[in-house]
Amino acid sequence: MTWRYRFVFLGLVCLFLLVVARLFYWQVVKAQELSLLGQQQYGTTLTLTPQRGEIETSDGFPIAANKLSYLVFANPKEIQNKEAVSTILASTLKLDIASVSASLALDKFWVPIQSGVDVKTKQQLESINLPGVGFDNQYQRFYPEASMAAQLLGFVGKDSAGNDKGYFGLEGFYDRLLSGKAGQAVEVHDAFGRPILAEMNQSSGETDGANLILNIDRSIQFLVEQKLKDGVEQYGATSGMVGIMNPQTGAILAMAAYPNFDPRSYQDYTNDLYKNPFISDLYEPGSTFKPLVMSGALDAKLVTPDTKCNACAGPVSVGGYQLETWDNKYFPNTNMIDVIQHSDNTGMVFVTQKLGLDGMINYLGKFGIGDSTNIDLQGEVSASLKPKSQWYAVDLATTGFGQGISITPIELLDATAAIANEGIRMEPQVVAAVRDADGNTTQIQPKALDAPINAETAKVMTQIMVNAVNKGEASWARLKGYSIAGKTGTASIPVSGHYDPTQTIASFVGFAPSDNPKFVMLVILNRPTASIYGADTAAPIFFDIAQSLLRYYGIPPEGN
Amino acid sequence: MKKAILSIGILTLIVFGLSIVRIYISNQVATSGVLLGQIQEQSNSYKMENIQLAENLYTKSSLTNIADEALKDGYIEQKTDFVLNGQVPVAYKQ
Repeated sequence: MTWRYRFVFLGLVCLFLLVVARLFYWQVVKAQELSLLGQQQYGTTLTLTPQRGEIETSDGFPIAANKLSYLVFANPKEIQNKEAVSTILASTLKLDIASVSASLALDKFWVPIQSGVDVKTKQQLESINLPGVGFDNQYQRFYPEASMAAQLLGFVGKDSAGNDKGYFGLEGFYDRLLSGKAGQAVEVHDAFGRPILAEMNQSSGETDGANLILNIDRSIQFLVEQKLKDGVEQYGATSGMVGIMNPQTGAILAMAAYPNFDPRSYQDYTNDLYKNPFISDLYEPGSTFKPLVMSGALDAKLVTPDTKCNACAGPVSVGGYQLETWDNKYFPNTNMIDVIQHSDNTGMVFVTQKLGLDGMINYLGKFGIGDSTNIDLQGEVSASLKPKSQWYAVDLATTGFGQGISITPIELLDATAAIANEGIRMEPQVVAAVRDADGNTTQIQPKALDAPINAETAKVMTQIMVNAVNKGEASWARLKGYSIAGKTGTASIPVSGHYDPTQTIASFVGFAPSDNPKFVMLVILNRPTASIYGADTAAPIFFDIAQSLLRYYGIPPEGN
Repeated sequence: MKKAILSIGILTLIVFGLSIVRIYISNQVATSGVLLGQIQEQSNSYKMENIQLAENLYTKSSLTNIADEALKDGYIEQKTDFVLNGQVPVAYKQ
């Protein structure tokens, strides 16, 4: 009797243990998979991808829009003939068959196969009607103007989680605004998989990205890019850039660099092309810097336009260094108007000595030199001015003619714009307004940053620059009938501790019309070979663009 | 006793009636889901079509495309300009 009792008891215990083991298997080992399966039978959680905001030029044309594409995915558990499906997917999507097979071999309900698939390919796959293969809508960046303003726009890549992320330029700076916010929705199914009250349980939260409306004028940008490309090729330069700004508001009207990249296939270009050299490259500005230093000295009333230079008869010795003029021509007792006209380095040494170190640091600071301009683009750099204790006498002297100091082109453009704008320096702004997903538009107001010089000094300096255009080295290229203020620049490039005499950065900065400027423009050519001088290379590009701009703005010529 | 039987009968009828109403509404709602699904699908397809049309429109109206087309049609960039300044009258008074 006892053994029978024990046998039944043991049997029951075994059965109980079996039940416990099975329960453990379903509830612990397989819990996640079953839960997912249950959810799939009940409904599908959809991620509502927000549409990235578009970027429009001032005429409302989207230069960065969105294009519809598809993500092809598969449910390996639904696919019976994996080999055949792999072959079809690989050949249609032009993928490696091994990688598709590997994806389909995974023990998962969802595997991505290929993203960014165009409509045509999607329709082709749909017509085959492959079981277990589906499509998700995606938005891809689309650039109707191809590579126009590429460095200004930046590009959209992926972050570590595989989500879209903007890099460089506007895409990087305004990434949060452009991205919007993803939402989620649950689509409930009946037993046959048909939707019951589609998106009834949608949890709100999806917000499309905001659109950016730029100050960039598409026509000017197009024109500038063409002229710059022609100029770089014509003068045999390694690269070039142009920036144009409205001095009264700080609105950036155009900003171009050549060579550039195609944001649609940014992966095919080297990283150094991604950054916008107009805000990210430091260079020694050379003589285009002279108007800023001269303005400081005029504003502090340390010199007047008629002040005679008593140190301009020959090379000047400062701190053991001999400083010469660029063409070894000297003009004894020259005045300040002629110092700018002849781009006289010794004359500028005279001015810096009048201004002194404190005055120099003070005025450069007010012009925004050594500080970022706060332009709304990702990637702006700036080199701070040296502390006062680290300035040598020769540093002060060479800064007068724009050597031994590193700035970005945007710093120079913004500082020169202050001369054009009655001495008031504005913050450079690429974006004019932001329009959110509901259509509400927020205008970005112009912002005055500083007033480095007074209006009277700005007027005098403008006349000195007009004289430099009319009678200086670049006078051959000037536009007759227009009053344009400007200054050439031919900066030596420091290489391994010394200046290379054969390689220069040629530039021209100026604004027009001088009495009521519509634009201020800076043209820079890197290492031109046809001529090393700004007057022979950058200046003609400047005047060529200026002529088109003046016509574009409907400004007629007056006199000679 | 009769009252109790009557009450139970009424309550049973109410329960039965409400159950039928529930089944009817559920069926209606389930059918609406299918209809809504179709409407949603149609709305999405229009949305997609709009995006594709916008893409074509932007491409065709881009300055880059217009310049390319103009070049194909034989237009060339004007290299020199003739500007009338204020000194020369356009027409003399007779």
